[in-house]
Amino acid sequence: MAAASPSRPEIISLFRSLLRTSRQFSDYNIREYSKRRTIDGFRLNKQLTDPSAVAAAFADGKSQLELAKRQVLVYSLYAPKVKSIMELNH
Amino acid sequence: MASSLRAAIISHFRVPASQTLALNGSKLWTVRSMSSHGDDHLDKNQVIDRVLEVVKCHPKIDPSKVTPEVHFQKDLGLDSLDTVEIVMALEEEFKLEIPDKEADKIDSCGLAIEYIYNHPMSS
Repeated sequence: MAAASPSRPEIISLFRSLLRTSRQFSDYNIREYSKRRTIDGFRLNKQLTDPSAVAAAFADGKSQLELAKRQVLVYSLYAPKVKSIMELNH
Repeated sequence: MASSLRAAIISHFRVPASQTLALNGSKLWTVRSMSSHGDDHLDKNQVIDRVLEVVKCHPKIDPSKVTPEVHFQKDLGLDSLDTVEIVMALEEEFKLEIPDKEADKIDSCGLAIEYIYNHPMSS
């Protein structure tokens, strides 16, 4: 099931989907963490050139995206009623 | 009479559960409907100022280099991941949803300002 090495637009699209999904979290902490983690994760792997490593990282990213989508639903079921202090007073 | 009283009490207890769900749904909608579509559009200078603010606040950027015409990758030395981050930040600032195809084309402040100014849903 080894997919061919992902193209640049596909990687950018995955990055964008992960950020969009992260935005949907209702809880401040997990929202900020997922944004930070996707940015850091993609930056760390930016230099990869070996096609199999790139494909592996891409597949990992896709599974993380599926996970994040499920977690958005789960978190919304148990959303806290009080906003985090970090979200008040800009 | 007791059974009707019981039914009334039961239905009273039942309402809050669905009410909160409806509230959550309607909260989203009321937030959207309160965003002013009535007054015609944002002022262009406002758009420019807000876009530049968003770009300047990005950690990787030197604020002194930011002008309304600056190109993200050529002038500011960013890469494609940073460009996506900036477009996301602009989406949040102006409460827009920019489709991927359009977002890929935005690679300078000028284009961002143009797109946001021409978008009917910017607020």
